[in-house]
Amino acid sequence: MSFINDHILTLVTFVPLVGSLALWTVIKRAEFARVFALVVALVDFVLSLHLWFRFDAGRGDDQFVERVPWLLNGEVSYHMGMDGISLVLAMLTTFLGPLVILSTWQAVRERVPSFMACILFLQAAMLGTFFARDMLLFYVFWEAMLIPMYFIIGIWGGQRRIYAAVKFFIFTMVGSVFMLVGILYLYFQAGGMGLTDFMNLQIGHDAQLWLFAAFFLAFAIKVPVFPLHTWLPDAHVQAPTAGSVILAGVLLKMGTYGMLRFAMPLFPEGVAAFAPAISILAVIGIIYGALVAMVQPDVKKLVAYSSVSHLGFVVLGLFSLTPLGVAGGIFQMLAHGLSTGALFLLVGMIYERRHTREISEFGGLAHKMPVYAVFFMIATLASVGLPIMAGFIGEFMILFGTFNSETLEHGRLFAILAATGVVLGAIYMLWMYQRVFLGKLSNAKNEGLTDLSLREVVVLLPIVVFIFWLGVQPSLILNRVEASVERVLAPLTAAVAEAQGTAPSHTGILLPDGQRAEIGTAFGSDHQKFLIRDTESQR
Amino acid sequence: MNDFFIPAVGAQFGLLLPYLIVAVGGLLVMLVDSFVKTVKKDHLSFLTLFILIGGILVQILTRSQGGVVLGGMLLVDDYSWFFNSLFMGVGVMTTIFATGSFDRDGVYRPEFYPLILFSILGMMVLSGANDLLTLFLGLETMSLAVYVLVGGVRGNVRSSEAGFKYLILGGFSSAFLLMGLAFLYGFAGGTGFDAIAAAMRSDQPDVLLASFGSGLVLIGLGFKVAMVPFHMWTPDVYEGAPSYITGFMATAVKAAGFAVLVRFVLLMQPQVAFTWFPVLTVLTVLTMTLGNLVALAQSNIKRMLAWSSIAHAGYLMLGVLTLISPAVGGSEMMLRSTEIGNAAGSAILFYLLAYTLMNLTAFGIINILGNRPGEDGEDINRFAGLYKKNPIAAAAMTVALLSLAGIPPMVGFMGKFYLFASVVRAGLIPLAVIGVINSLISVYYYLRVMVMMYMKEPEEDSYSGTEWVSVVTSGVLAILVIYIGVQPDAFHRLAEAIFRQINF
Repeated sequence: MSFINDHILTLVTFVPLVGSLALWTVIKRAEFARVFALVVALVDFVLSLHLWFRFDAGRGDDQFVERVPWLLNGEVSYHMGMDGISLVLAMLTTFLGPLVILSTWQAVRERVPSFMACILFLQAAMLGTFFARDMLLFYVFWEAMLIPMYFIIGIWGGQRRIYAAVKFFIFTMVGSVFMLVGILYLYFQAGGMGLTDFMNLQIGHDAQLWLFAAFFLAFAIKVPVFPLHTWLPDAHVQAPTAGSVILAGVLLKMGTYGMLRFAMPLFPEGVAAFAPAISILAVIGIIYGALVAMVQPDVKKLVAYSSVSHLGFVVLGLFSLTPLGVAGGIFQMLAHGLSTGALFLLVGMIYERRHTREISEFGGLAHKMPVYAVFFMIATLASVGLPIMAGFIGEFMILFGTFNSETLEHGRLFAILAATGVVLGAIYMLWMYQRVFLGKLSNAKNEGLTDLSLREVVVLLPIVVFIFWLGVQPSLILNRVEASVERVLAPLTAAVAEAQGTAPSHTGILLPDGQRAEIGTAFGSDHQKFLIRDTESQR
Repeated sequence: MNDFFIPAVGAQFGLLLPYLIVAVGGLLVMLVDSFVKTVKKDHLSFLTLFILIGGILVQILTRSQGGVVLGGMLLVDDYSWFFNSLFMGVGVMTTIFATGSFDRDGVYRPEFYPLILFSILGMMVLSGANDLLTLFLGLETMSLAVYVLVGGVRGNVRSSEAGFKYLILGGFSSAFLLMGLAFLYGFAGGTGFDAIAAAMRSDQPDVLLASFGSGLVLIGLGFKVAMVPFHMWTPDVYEGAPSYITGFMATAVKAAGFAVLVRFVLLMQPQVAFTWFPVLTVLTVLTMTLGNLVALAQSNIKRMLAWSSIAHAGYLMLGVLTLISPAVGGSEMMLRSTEIGNAAGSAILFYLLAYTLMNLTAFGIINILGNRPGEDGEDINRFAGLYKKNPIAAAAMTVALLSLAGIPPMVGFMGKFYLFASVVRAGLIPLAVIGVINSLISVYYYLRVMVMMYMKEPEEDSYSGTEWVSVVTSGVLAILVIYIGVQPDAFHRLAEAIFRQINF
């Protein structure tokens, strides 16, 4: 047992990699490749459950730590660790893995073993990115993610797949290489590549600004933060369904995760200097993404732009520097992963049947595909942020946190503007739903459509279950990230406040009645008390 | 004179054994080819491989021994040990690739085998040069053999043109080098590196003379490593030469150039080094940037890799710059600390190893592609759909290209990591930023080949490639590229230990 405890992170990360290698080299038959990949992903999910149940939610530091010297006399080490933030994102990754593979059962028919190898390789790299506690190791995983995603878009994508794949690769590289220089700079200041080495470093003001800019650029491109988002619609539209799901579900969260894990705690003065500008960009992203989504004729593109809008919320929440906003941001990452993942899966399912995603081609689908329509409705409402669904909690916490942020000037204005994004989100999503599903079945080509198969329901059902489960019991997640958020945020808030010249404020949050509350009671076990009274009554 | 000949013969013989093996082996191959009537090319190929592998084994076994031989002309140390092993290793691979190419084309070039041995001998002399004369001797032995190897494909106009161009420009660069050596001789009053080092360290060195001489030597060596603006021959020669020779030139010849370049810049004293530091900085930036920008526009993969090899010479020059970059200590400028020097030097050695591995992999694949005799894989468009026709070749090529682009977990990334790390450590952050921007540019043209191989369907005239020994060799090299990329520490430590020994 202790062997598993000591090496669980390595196991979770490298099981998919081994599966990927097997698929690449030995397995040639498509049917077997599918089953094999599914089994590997399920095994990985089961292994990751060990993380979930053995995780000590009371501690905010890294758990299951593994550390082996790697390079340069141990200055660079194979250092894996996991706190609550990494935990929930890793769980999202391993949870989506088998579903994604199952969803490609019929969509991918060419070069199946290679496709499955790419998916599993990608999963390994993503998990490694969440667990890495050494900057070079992190960078290796971070860059390694590009290779499989490049192939997934470029080989199995749509018409303009090569353009989209190269654009994706180059855009992401642009940010990363500057981060690499930043990492090297810090490495020689700190004498080690460990995240803790970097944390203990005293960095001058100007250096902090430059380094923050270098790191933030890398992460902002991944998120993507407006105006760096232009690769995203291309990549999403051209990628095959599985690629889109992973891209929206997990890959984009790498950016926000990186901000929270690296860019913000390492360079508080950079945060202090740039937070207003970044918040403005986030708000622009929220509104711009929503407005552009509204006019898209293509369902997939609409969902892609909605991601820009939703991730804008996450960035806003993180830079509010309130426990509520940050925890809400993390929650929103999960909620967005589930709801947008489900939406991309659903869009993929109709595309398999009709080979088009134009909204104008559809109409009245609810008559022919009632089950599909119900699932789509749930995913739509989750994306919109209806209470009792996951999307609501995250958005609400973010808006609340931003509104009350003490470090963010004009936080209230940002919160109000961002709230209009919620309204716009409801408009474009429901309008799209109306045009696709309601009314008369106008297009004769849709007459022959069949409803969802059992396999497709099996793919969607777990996601829907979790959309509701997290909606009514957010503490499932929040309990686990609480201590970690506090551990990241407490020194950060103090340093930012100091950099801004204000007295370091208490890290508690302002309750609606004007009293301060400790973080624990703010959104820990008791958070439902004032956050979501309506769900409280249901439980 | 006496200790030149008599007492040390036994010990010197041991130290010189790898050199003798290659030299005598080259003569032997030539004689066998001329006088044994029944010889076939496979025999020569095996004999050459046997000689080279024997040389590598002797090198490995005699690593612990070192010393100055031939009256101070040649230095046998870990540094030359590293490079000699590298050269002979490249020689093994090149022999395999060349034989595969002969098999495919039905063309037999018996002169290849002795020439490759002689050029390796020249490189070995170069890597151990401890005297201006051995430096020149090694350089010319290497170059003359390579001129013939490049231009020796009879009836192929491009090959002849390339060989001729290389010969003329090579002779031109030798003239610069020789002039520089003459100035250094005048400066130091002797040809030994020790004499030059002593003269540099004297109280009142003639900085002008030393700077002028070393500047000319830098130009001569700049030709060999294809540094801008002495790079003009590279694309034409790389394109015209048969691919196995191009691979040999891009790896071994370039490594030999850097071997002697690094040894040479270590001789320079601050005043001399700082004369050239700003110039070299500009040239390094130009080398990287021009190489990558022009590579973007190439449609012939050998030309593309030629420009990419220029860019990689630029990255390596970053390491050389770090070696001689000025630090401010007290009131005066002085050379960087030995620690940073060690970091930069070991990074150069590691990068050369990485670059050799990944480039050989790529050229091994290019060498075997081609559907007609005499045709190598050249036009990028004809890589279309290679994954279908030859999946192993496509995979090995992908690994090589990703590594050249510096994407982890390939060895190319680790090479860049060590290199840029030393550059940042020396405080040359703008140079590191230019370096990473350049590797960003390079991603685009490496990706283009991958797009062709994996994302396009094969066409009528796409390459297939059938020569399995070369495919497997490249595959093994590709596995090494990944393996050392994941576990670079042992090799980096080796490089550091080696460099520590010569960095005085």
